[in-house]
Amino acid sequence: MNAHAPVTQELNTNVSTTFDVLAWEIELAGARCIFLDTLIGELMPTVPPEKRERLIQGMHAVDLLAQHLTSLSAFSRRLSEVVPAESGVEVSKALADITLGDLADRMRTAFGGEEEAVDDRAEAGDLDLF
Amino acid sequence: MNFDTRGLKIMVVENDRTVLEIIQLRLEVAGFHSAMARTGRSAIEALANFRPAALVIEMNLPDMSGLDVLEALNSSVDRCAVPTLIMAKQLGQGDLKLAISLGARDCIAKPFSGADILTRVSRLLGKSAPIQGRSVVHV
Repeated sequence: MNAHAPVTQELNTNVSTTFDVLAWEIELAGARCIFLDTLIGELMPTVPPEKRERLIQGMHAVDLLAQHLTSLSAFSRRLSEVVPAESGVEVSKALADITLGDLADRMRTAFGGEEEAVDDRAEAGDLDLF
Repeated sequence: MNFDTRGLKIMVVENDRTVLEIIQLRLEVAGFHSAMARTGRSAIEALANFRPAALVIEMNLPDMSGLDVLEALNSSVDRCAVPTLIMAKQLGQGDLKLAISLGARDCIAKPFSGADILTRVSRLLGKSAPIQGRSVVHV
């Protein structure tokens, strides 16, 4: 997961798509925060009363982070709708700076590059039943 | 939570891994169970064996269109009307009409937020939207 994505070839896209891809990824980060927030909430009854204040502080921080991310996602999504379609950008070097291999691969695919199977779940046709 | 989502199974068909995980997480936090497929073929195979409470499907799949999937499902004798939400970046009027004729009840345009999709799934099930994020804090 932490493999540095190699710069294999130029990957040209437009700025609108770039903002769109960013919006989806930030939205996913926000969804993960909301999931984490819910998990912490579920664990609350199992925590000794004297420790709960600290946990509530943590929940509050995660909640703020989720709101922060979903707001940034909305901002990026809106920008993707208003930037001129003809504005191009080359993203391969920027992608190479992403140290999370799965994230870099998802974004590369979204920009029109080839999908690399990072793990089993990345296989096309993957079915995950309950 | 405005209604009990426990045990309700939602089938999501989407090739984009990011979008798929967003929907999966949002549904899980809201209390739904979810089944995920990334191709039309795997969705058809899965839907032959179980009937979800709702189907959320992308129109542009790598191996076939979402319309093809709905068509295949409609030809199945076991197919009872599964409330269906279609997702698309762009959808022509003709395709929309065809989707509706094949059982789609709603359409959500991409891009959308995680909150949007949860609202639409809840509406699809004839319920108001579950509350977002943390539902209960036990202190």
